[in-house]
Amino acid sequence: MASNNRVAAVGVGYSTTGRKTGLTSRQLAVQAATAAMRDAGMTPKDIDGATMLWAVAGDAPPGLDVVDSMDIAFMLGIGPLNFWNSGAGPAYIGPAVQAVSAIKSGLCHTVLSMRVIRQRLTGAEMLAKDTDTHRVYAEDDFQFVAPFGSISPLQAIASMPAQRHMDLYGTTEEHFGRHVVAQREWASHNPDAIFRTPLTLDDYFASRYISKPVRLLDCDYPVDSASAIIYTTEERARDFAKKPVFAESTAFSSVKYLTFENLDDIIENSPDHCARNLWARTDLKPKDVDCVQLYDGFTIIVFQWLEALGFCGRGEAGPFIAEGHTAMGGRLPLNTDGGACNVGRRHGANFCIESIRQLRGGESGVRQVPDAKVALWANAVGSFSGAMLMTAE
Amino acid sequence: MSAIYPPLPRPNPMTQFFWDGCKARKLQILRCQACGWFVHYPRPVCNKCLSTELAPQEVSGRASLYAYTLTMQAFHPYYVDKLPYTLAVVELEEQPGLRITTNIVDVAEADLKTGMPVRLAWREVAPDVVLPMFTKADA
Repeated sequence: MASNNRVAAVGVGYSTTGRKTGLTSRQLAVQAATAAMRDAGMTPKDIDGATMLWAVAGDAPPGLDVVDSMDIAFMLGIGPLNFWNSGAGPAYIGPAVQAVSAIKSGLCHTVLSMRVIRQRLTGAEMLAKDTDTHRVYAEDDFQFVAPFGSISPLQAIASMPAQRHMDLYGTTEEHFGRHVVAQREWASHNPDAIFRTPLTLDDYFASRYISKPVRLLDCDYPVDSASAIIYTTEERARDFAKKPVFAESTAFSSVKYLTFENLDDIIENSPDHCARNLWARTDLKPKDVDCVQLYDGFTIIVFQWLEALGFCGRGEAGPFIAEGHTAMGGRLPLNTDGGACNVGRRHGANFCIESIRQLRGGESGVRQVPDAKVALWANAVGSFSGAMLMTAE
Repeated sequence: MSAIYPPLPRPNPMTQFFWDGCKARKLQILRCQACGWFVHYPRPVCNKCLSTELAPQEVSGRASLYAYTLTMQAFHPYYVDKLPYTLAVVELEEQPGLRITTNIVDVAEADLKTGMPVRLAWREVAPDVVLPMFTKADA
């Protein structure tokens, strides 16, 4: 096997995206997959692997149609498959890591990787219901958290880390607001964004609290959406329509059980572990990164990644953002598509696609980062996460 | 119409001791009988020495506030008339990093401080369901 078996991303695509699209998981998947094949100038016969993740968390409630990677592949005329996976992993970074790993290993050469989100379950729906007594029960590890009212993932994933970040480092609610305002400015120039009206700090402070200090505007926007990215070998990449973008370094991390309350450190966790590996696998340094796309399921996650990746010191993300470095015109353009708060929850896939578009060049209008050669995207936080460094050359 | 309760724990054979202890107002954590390490959540093995000899041990109930949030929205009908409430993680004094999820009760928001000492405050939230909550302790 060639020693320099680099993997390239050659096609990207989205489905119709919105609050209630009325589309089934299969329809969403077909839209995104065909868009990605069209983008790459590729046919189903060029593909021999499929990875995807469907649900957000917990079991699917009745009436929701689950799709898996075999289902998607065969309905699109892809196959036989040399690799497939529909399993676990934090959001889109899971299928992405599986795709890159499978190609690097030689098991397959070209993978359609997808994230399909049909609808999010609420915390209450995830708890088992006793129909006789109308009581709600929490099982497994959730029995140690839900009885105390830890029901929305937001409380443990975002609110408690954000409050602790404020108490340890002097981070302020204005710091969170500065990020939200800067990110919306990027979104205002993205025709694919759902929210495009610029925000002020006053707008941020007028946004209601969900669980302090997290406000509604700190939360990503749940939507139905499918996203697809096609990866292939460097050798094959040159045969397709678009300029290939390379996966320079990839890291995957799991540090503790999925109940975020139980993390050994509620601020420094899987992104820190992930970042160490990501940088150890490349000669590139944080200063080489032209734009960065950091998962913004909630604002504090962006802060955690900025610090974990070494773009600023521990506890310094707030002042770093307030100084304008991540905004349009700043030295570290961040979430240049507007982030999941504004383009909708595509669970990390939007950050991969935005990285690819920035590195291709010419696809992002005024959001284009001049001469972008290196992009970094990161997904998830806490118990599990992953990141990928991508290069144009 | 039946009363509305918060989400209730559904004990399993591994966790029954914890909830039985709470009912008797005793906070018990599983402890390795070989090396003394506390293991929470309950697991059949010690993650320090891999011994499978673990037994519940009562802890003091003295702890420090590790992380907290004032929840302003009811994610379950039980909380509609109880907002805001303070969800928290506290670190038990017995072992660094040994933490449980809880509520802080009878402490005003302005008095909440990360790191503050707290002590057990038992609360019965449903018939025979007693939860280990915490309140401010004297330093």
